[in-house]
Amino acid sequence: MLRILATLGALALASGVQAQTIKIAILGPMAFVQGENHWAGAEMARDEINKAGGVHVGGRRLQIELIRADTNESNSVPDATNAIERVITRDKADFLVGGFRSEAVLAMQEIAMDYKKLFLGAGAAHSKLGLNVEQNYERYKYWFRIAPTKDVDLVRTLFAVLGSIGQQIRTDLKTDTPKVAILAEKAIWTEALVAAVQKNLPAMKMEVVGTWQPSAKATDVTAELSAIERSGAHIVFTILSDVVGITVGRQMGERRMKAVAWGINVEGQKEEFWQATAGKAQYVSTLDTFAEVEMTPQTVAFVRAFKARYGKAPTYNAATYDAIMILKKAIEQAGTTEADKLIPVIEKMEYVGAAGTDTWDKRHDLVWAVGKTAGIAVQWQDGKKVPFWPPSVKGMQPFKMPHSN
Amino acid sequence: MLQDILVTGLVNSGVYALLAIGFSLIFGVARIVNIAHTAFYMLAAYCFYALLTKTGLGFALSGVIAVAAVTALSVVCYRLVIEPVREHESAVLIATIALALIFQELMLYSFGGNYLGIPSTLEGVVRVLGVSIPYQRLLILVVAAVMLAATWFFLYRTRLGLAIRATANDLEVANLMGMNVHRVAMASVAASVALAAVAGVVVAPVFVVDPFMWLAPLVTMLAIVVLGGLGSLKGSLIGALIIGYVEAITVFALPGGAYLKGAVALGIMVAVLLVRPEGLFGVAFEEER
Amino acid sequence: MYWLRRAWAELRDEVFVLPSRTLALVWALGLLLLPLVYDDPYVLRILTMTCLFAIFAASWDLLAGYTGQVNFGHALFFGAGAYTSALLSLRLGITPWITIWAGAAVALLFGYLAGYLCLRLRGSYLSLATLAFPLIALGLLFAFPEFSGGELGISGLRRLANGPTPNYYIAAVSMLAIVLGLWKLADSRFGIVLHAIRDDEVAARASGINTLRYKLAVFALSAAAAGFSGALFAHYLRVAGPSTLEVALSFQVVIWGIFGGVATIYGPVVAVFILYPLTEWLGSFRSFGELRLLIFAVIVLLVLLFMPRGLTPWLRDKLETACPRCKQRNRAWRSVCRLCGAPLSGADAKIKPA
Repeated sequence: MLRILATLGALALASGVQAQTIKIAILGPMAFVQGENHWAGAEMARDEINKAGGVHVGGRRLQIELIRADTNESNSVPDATNAIERVITRDKADFLVGGFRSEAVLAMQEIAMDYKKLFLGAGAAHSKLGLNVEQNYERYKYWFRIAPTKDVDLVRTLFAVLGSIGQQIRTDLKTDTPKVAILAEKAIWTEALVAAVQKNLPAMKMEVVGTWQPSAKATDVTAELSAIERSGAHIVFTILSDVVGITVGRQMGERRMKAVAWGINVEGQKEEFWQATAGKAQYVSTLDTFAEVEMTPQTVAFVRAFKARYGKAPTYNAATYDAIMILKKAIEQAGTTEADKLIPVIEKMEYVGAAGTDTWDKRHDLVWAVGKTAGIAVQWQDGKKVPFWPPSVKGMQPFKMPHSN
Repeated sequence: MLQDILVTGLVNSGVYALLAIGFSLIFGVARIVNIAHTAFYMLAAYCFYALLTKTGLGFALSGVIAVAAVTALSVVCYRLVIEPVREHESAVLIATIALALIFQELMLYSFGGNYLGIPSTLEGVVRVLGVSIPYQRLLILVVAAVMLAATWFFLYRTRLGLAIRATANDLEVANLMGMNVHRVAMASVAASVALAAVAGVVVAPVFVVDPFMWLAPLVTMLAIVVLGGLGSLKGSLIGALIIGYVEAITVFALPGGAYLKGAVALGIMVAVLLVRPEGLFGVAFEEER
Repeated sequence: MYWLRRAWAELRDEVFVLPSRTLALVWALGLLLLPLVYDDPYVLRILTMTCLFAIFAASWDLLAGYTGQVNFGHALFFGAGAYTSALLSLRLGITPWITIWAGAAVALLFGYLAGYLCLRLRGSYLSLATLAFPLIALGLLFAFPEFSGGELGISGLRRLANGPTPNYYIAAVSMLAIVLGLWKLADSRFGIVLHAIRDDEVAARASGINTLRYKLAVFALSAAAAGFSGALFAHYLRVAGPSTLEVALSFQVVIWGIFGGVATIYGPVVAVFILYPLTEWLGSFRSFGELRLLIFAVIVLLVLLFMPRGLTPWLRDKLETACPRCKQRNRAWRSVCRLCGAPLSGADAKIKPA
């Protein structure tokens, strides 16, 4: 009798001790926009899921609990590795979501793989993260990238949009080969992109008039812009991820340059860009992820709800929302929270999220497709980010040129 | 291209001169390597930004208040933090580093890590020798020239300036002559930070404002001051011109190598130091026994 | 048996007589025995990093404290060690156990070069010139991104050992060995010469000391130790990036050095062991974790105001006094010197430690 009671008691204790919540750690530079968006997107997912009752795991419903981890990765890679180790060993996180700075995410990935925890990336674009999965599947299979598409795929989107802008210039200015000036920050992630652009533009019937590479932290690009003006370029192809994006936007506006800026300008994706350029960044256009357009049936609702709750539009880091929803779908499909069982489920999944329609390749990177994962293109007009590409998505507006005014 | 280099170099030099002269002044008088010098520059920029956007005061008034506030703060910091540890050179050093970190974190906490843009005081561009220069940069040049002239006047035509120069020359004898060395030190701290604050107010609209904006100018300014010779105002001015032009040449002559301008400037500084260990116009300080 | 008795005699006569040495012994034993009682991987990670940074800080003190060449760019040697070991182990496939020594060797060369460039510089000029070196190195690294990995650095490095505890032991043992070595060096005739060079180089030269050789040697030695810690750091994090060369790291080691007390070797080690876990611990608080750098800076400032010579000299003065006659240190509560018998307190004790 006593033994039965003891066993029953032990069972009860065991189930009580078993996690009542699913712990998801959100890792990001919380003092900066990227981390804020990581957290905001995650919060929205958590509240939505918990309000609907939680996640179904094999007969039980579990609530989602978020752990906020400030990695401070923009300033210190060891801080990020300390943070991830802390959330795994101290806070007992079940899943890891986030990351931004590629150098730090590479280090964090190692630790996550050591502990065999699922790590969903929502910020770093470096191909090596996916390459690791391909080269050493057994160790790195726990990594999936939810946003953005890997760096080489970004080029394909850039060319697609460049083609349509080039066409607009051909008609407006009656010139056969638009001139393009490449303005890329000096960094390793831009090397391959710059080379690709230089190689492919002639095939697209556009002429590369020069390549300028300021420092990523440059606060003055007068020299570059003077030279670009003198070269007579129509398009300034930007590949910028840091402060220099703001400098370019502002100084191009101050000089009232006739050329239009298109490309990657990560600072240009933030709401604060207009203020940071003192209102001068008219016509600056960049690749982006979220806008109030129907990329998927969920996008508009998500962006509106985000704006209502946080007062500003989401950046691509808010794809943590999609990441958590993907986890939920995988857990409910597999009936368990065990990472090894979830991996094949996610690999085969096609997920319609707020940012796009996601499927994954053998590197656990997003499969690139226009209208699904390629993102959108936006242009700053009168203080607002106006989406203008891809034309197949509802809600797009026309692209404006400086010379048309 | 030559005109571009001439004009850009001149404008850059103006900015650096404002910062370098202030730093040189403090070092010459008080033998303090003030790592927080550019942090005060950052504070002035933030103060200017806050006043401009949160209150309705115009550019001129916001600028003046920002400069005055930061100067006052610097004197307070000096009294509270630097003066007690004046005798220990190394302690002073990390006290200034700690101060700079505190300012950085306070700005990070109050304003966030985002880049902020300050509207230009003067809009529009002007074409000089075929180069278009925004009026704001001309303003920087004018202000730099005016402040340099004012500093020269202050140091060479006023009694307090005389006291400062005397203290810089020989602290003990100046003390013996009856000058209140503490007050002179405070005055030079105030003057030096005022110069940095003016730089912050005038230059910030041209660059972006963020809590880490004090690091890059710090390195360039140190390079200039060392190049020109610590404690020599003429040296700082010449150093600023040299480094300003070197950077302009690097950026214009090597479009793919613009990111190297910092390293090139520093390389030049090291090269000069190899030939003249005290900088171009520096004074070799006798070991104070 | 003889050795045991000899060891016990040494302990009793050399170590236990001074509270500071006893504390050091207790601390060293504690470090070595910790994983046996408490092996939380997070805590071990923090302590591993602390040990590595302690080596780094101690190496700085040898250079800055003992010869007065305050180095504002010590991160150059750290980064040199990290990158060398990373490149050799990743590109050439050599085992990390060998490449860390290669990293130290390359850092030693860098130290020699930096020392050579700074031979004629004094005081603040030297400090600011050294500030420039890592930044120039950074510029060069970015100029050759295929070689150096640009802003991403070199990733995917092999660990020296697997698991938190072995890595911890590697770091802790290295730290104890290097710090002890440096301290013994500083405490020897070599150290006395260094003190002489710092206090008055002209007089030292006039006494026939080849100050050039000593200054270069110290630069090289200090750089080698820093490079070793950099290499260990790279293999621990499995990434060697430009963050190993940045100005913030150079400033950090200056803060640790001066906070702990220059010219002591153990001072900066104490500083690292207090400040690094403290900032980490502050960072784990959700409410004010983001303010941890601010709190760190305020703590440093406050401590400086009360202990301008650094933390450890102040602590040592509380625990020990120097004998006015033979200048050897004694426990503060002793009444007569343990070596020469001179009275330590009261009206007869005249000279207080400097």
